[in-house]
Amino acid sequence: MDSKIYTVSSLNLKIKNSLESGFSNLGVEGEVSNFYCHNNRHLYFDLKDDNSKIKVVMFYEAKKKLGFEIEDGLHILLSGYISVYEKRGDYQLIALDAEPVGKGSLALAYEQLKLKLKEKGYFEEISKKAIPTIPKAIGLVTSTGGAVIRDIITVLSKRFENFHLIVRNVSVQGLSASREICEAIDDLCEFDGGAGAGGTVVGSGEGTGASAGAGSGSGAGVDVIILARGGGSLEDLWAFNTQEVAQKVFECSIPVISAIGHETDFTICDFVADIRAATPSVAAQIVICDKNETIKKINSLLGRIKNNLEKNLSKSRQDLRYLSDRRIFKKPQTILLNFWQSHDTAGKKLADEAKSKIQSKKAAFGSLQILLDEKPIAGRIALNKMSVNNDLFRLSSGEKNKLESLKNRVGVLLKDMDSKSPVSVLQKGFALVLKKDNEKIIRSIDDASVDEQLQILLRDGILLSKILEKISKNTKAVD
Amino acid sequence: MEKEIKEMTFEEALLKLETIVNELEDEKIALEESIKRFELGVRLSSHCLAKLDEAEKKIEELTRNQDGKLVARELKLDDL
Repeated sequence: MDSKIYTVSSLNLKIKNSLESGFSNLGVEGEVSNFYCHNNRHLYFDLKDDNSKIKVVMFYEAKKKLGFEIEDGLHILLSGYISVYEKRGDYQLIALDAEPVGKGSLALAYEQLKLKLKEKGYFEEISKKAIPTIPKAIGLVTSTGGAVIRDIITVLSKRFENFHLIVRNVSVQGLSASREICEAIDDLCEFDGGAGAGGTVVGSGEGTGASAGAGSGSGAGVDVIILARGGGSLEDLWAFNTQEVAQKVFECSIPVISAIGHETDFTICDFVADIRAATPSVAAQIVICDKNETIKKINSLLGRIKNNLEKNLSKSRQDLRYLSDRRIFKKPQTILLNFWQSHDTAGKKLADEAKSKIQSKKAAFGSLQILLDEKPIAGRIALNKMSVNNDLFRLSSGEKNKLESLKNRVGVLLKDMDSKSPVSVLQKGFALVLKKDNEKIIRSIDDASVDEQLQILLRDGILLSKILEKISKNTKAVD
Repeated sequence: MEKEIKEMTFEEALLKLETIVNELEDEKIALEESIKRFELGVRLSSHCLAKLDEAEKKIEELTRNQDGKLVARELKLDDL
């Protein structure tokens, strides 16, 4: 056999050269499977159809130019060449470019990025920041050459004449657009209003559009940013569909309004932004309140407070009138009279009580004195009697008779005196009934009335009592 | 007052004003209290109105100067 003998290496090399020259520039269409990406660099996968498959490698250089991500199940058209991996003797397609089948790669990239960011939570309402009603300064990222900036300024001027707009000029399409947009967002976030050195810049002879800064900065940066671009194709709007810009908008500390293209255009940026405005003009409406409307609203709120106060006032006046119409206020002396009357009653009661207390003490004192005096008096009488008797011995009978009659008179007088004293009457168990208030003696049932309080003086004190009923002598109840 | 009115942002003052109006209209409030709220409402609304006039109309362009510092310069657009 005349056959040539190779080493394994030389055979694989010969096959490799032969395949590379024979299949140097080809396209192949199929479905991706067994996808594997090592360290986010080279891509390894199989491309298959119903009956067959081929190994594919896409090196990093080719991969990084792709707008979309290759993934399992994706139907793609690959272009490249066939080569051999000599170490294993495997032949494989070296893919230089890829294109999705059925839709454009941009459309696919858009869908893929949208899905990816959505899964990461970039579109969630919870991460959206509130837009101020009256921003101190509005940042605008757009091309100063386009119609968009004019539209926005026109709308802003109508809504809020004293708006402050800080424009950051960028390319809104082309290769550098997404990088410029990211830088612009960074700059607007960094700008502090030029309160520092920046505000004093005196410059001239620069670009035609901008002249030297007229005034010093406001001292505060922008508090809202609009990303704006007019309508265009998916390619034109592409910068706003990149992960770079989406990431920047998501991370921006200042609220961002996305106003890209027409109403029907939805960019990734629109989903990530804090608010999507259908058009740049709409963004200008969203970004600041309508000043006149707002003034009207504030005045109407104030009017409502005023009305409420007036209502409350008139109700209070009505309440006051109702109250002041009442007798007590019409004739305040009435309450004074009542007051005086109760004052008098109370005063009298007080005086009466004091008096009755004094009276009862007096009576108690009196009866005690009587008890104290009784014996000494009797003693003294007895002594006197004895001396009288002694004297009697020494007296003549005539005189004796005289004395005897004198003695009798004294005895009668003494008896009379005793019997006439009210105290001795009380000692006998009788009672003296006095009116409680003026201490007049009650002699008749006519001297007192039912419910009246009385003092009943007894030998050893006073009974304060009240008349329950009056019964006249003919046993018929009166009153 | 939890926050001085003059420290309030426009939104805070407006919200407070709206709250006062709603409270006054929804609740039965004594005359003295409604006078207090009226006074507060007047101060809040004048604060809001002042906020509306705070800014000065300016259209500027943000660029970097030779030193790389950010500067805002008046932007003049021909057809505006």
